[in-house]
Amino acid sequence: MPSDVSHRDRCAVAGIGATDYSRNSGRSDLTLATQAALAAVADAGLEVTDIDGIVRCDMDTVRPNDLAHALGIPELTFWAEAGPGGTAPPAMIGLAVAAIMSGQATTVLCFRELNGRSGQRYGLARSADDVVGGAGSYDEFFAPYGLLTPGHIFALMAQRHMHEFGTRPEHLGQIALTCRARANANPAAQMHDRPLTMDEYLSARTIAEPLRLFDFCLETDGAAAVIVTSTERARDLRQQPVAIRAVAQSSIPDPQPGVQFPVLMRESITSLPGQAVARTLYRRAGLGPEDIDVAQLYDCFTITVLMQLEDWGFCKKGEGGPFAAGGALDLGGAVPINTGGGHLSEGYIHGMNHVLEGVRQIRGHSTSQVPGAENCLVTATPLPPGSALILGRV
Amino acid sequence: MAVVPAVDDLDTAGYFRAAADGHLTVRRCTACDAVLHVPVAYCRHCGGFEGRWAEVSPTGRIYSYTVVTHQVHPDFPVPYTVILVELDDLPEVRLVGRLDGRPDVFIGQPVVAEFAPLSDDAALPTWRLRERRT
Repeated sequence: MPSDVSHRDRCAVAGIGATDYSRNSGRSDLTLATQAALAAVADAGLEVTDIDGIVRCDMDTVRPNDLAHALGIPELTFWAEAGPGGTAPPAMIGLAVAAIMSGQATTVLCFRELNGRSGQRYGLARSADDVVGGAGSYDEFFAPYGLLTPGHIFALMAQRHMHEFGTRPEHLGQIALTCRARANANPAAQMHDRPLTMDEYLSARTIAEPLRLFDFCLETDGAAAVIVTSTERARDLRQQPVAIRAVAQSSIPDPQPGVQFPVLMRESITSLPGQAVARTLYRRAGLGPEDIDVAQLYDCFTITVLMQLEDWGFCKKGEGGPFAAGGALDLGGAVPINTGGGHLSEGYIHGMNHVLEGVRQIRGHSTSQVPGAENCLVTATPLPPGSALILGRV
Repeated sequence: MAVVPAVDDLDTAGYFRAAADGHLTVRRCTACDAVLHVPVAYCRHCGGFEGRWAEVSPTGRIYSYTVVTHQVHPDFPVPYTVILVELDDLPEVRLVGRLDGRPDVFIGQPVVAEFAPLSDDAALPTWRLRERRT
């Protein structure tokens, strides 16, 4: 029975690896994935021949056999993929845990790579698509009206949140500034050398009102990878094990089909599936929001963070704006967030760089370390059903 | 209109066919009358597979909106305003519209549907403002 089997602390992250984050990597998708994988294997003190499982994101272009071939892995006994899209990374870790606990693999590589700036940009609509939708996508109800990108969806959500709760641009701006300040301390962040002030935030051009330039995450070329194994085995490896305290995927009633646009038909567009994921994850971890020392919250847009602050119980519904503006997200605040700079200012590796930063926090090696951090929440609850995990000290 | 909707999806084509006759419709279960939006064949409420395209009043109110100011597609010059409309008859059903430029809109503003022909037997419902803010 599922309720009798707990994965709490049974598996751990043994290694992490990433490429540089840039606007033009000059490398193929497969090369990026290979480099991140090699870095994670080396970090763990393992050999590529130790890997027997691979988990990918459903929007990745690199398949498990591509990477197994490139790396020279002698035999994969498990592979899987999670999605849709940005909801994948914690769920990918969950698939690795499931494989390890069920004896299907011992050492699982989870990776995400994308040439997100020099290749296909998620912020642009593909102009070649003259006939849009059909085949179960439901895009025919949205794209003909110029509703074309994730930013347009979140702009509609932000407008409604402002209408219902009085949320202000300055509230969103504080989230952008917080992530930027953490990036300014992180030499690997794309925005490391670019400070941001509230005046600059407010005077920046709009993209889709009420959202401005700095409400949008970066588009990034790069890759990030994680090695998952049993906690018992991880104790014998090079790094201090970072326990996967718990992981959860959850959907909400009437989640809506499709990849993104139909979520605008949900009863509420001012909350995300995070509420459901939070219930399941907190229960499995035996923890609550008050136990979270630091959080990496999925930040494709500032409003995505604001809604998750409410969904995850860090503040009441509708109070995400004043909560953020009151300093709660800063180092030393109630819930320091996105300590590597996040998607808004470190780079957009589609949720996976948040997992790596969570591991650094528990190891005590973040460039914006939260002293004594024992539990780090990592969320991937943007539009469709989502996933999240809590990393912790063993 | 260069970006045209696919009107041959087996679950959604009827919506665009009804629009060609000047009707705004939503998918409803024939057996239990549940609203199935966005359209799907199977009724998760009663288990039926029979549905109909039920006509609704072509009027609604703006539920949310965004003024798009950064161009992401050659056929959609900016600025333009995307509106999310809740139907007067069925507020739980939302549809999308586009207004040229940046008209003075507000949440709750009344809008009315019109129908832009795509072919002899398909049209795209569009929306315009019903009255000015006073």
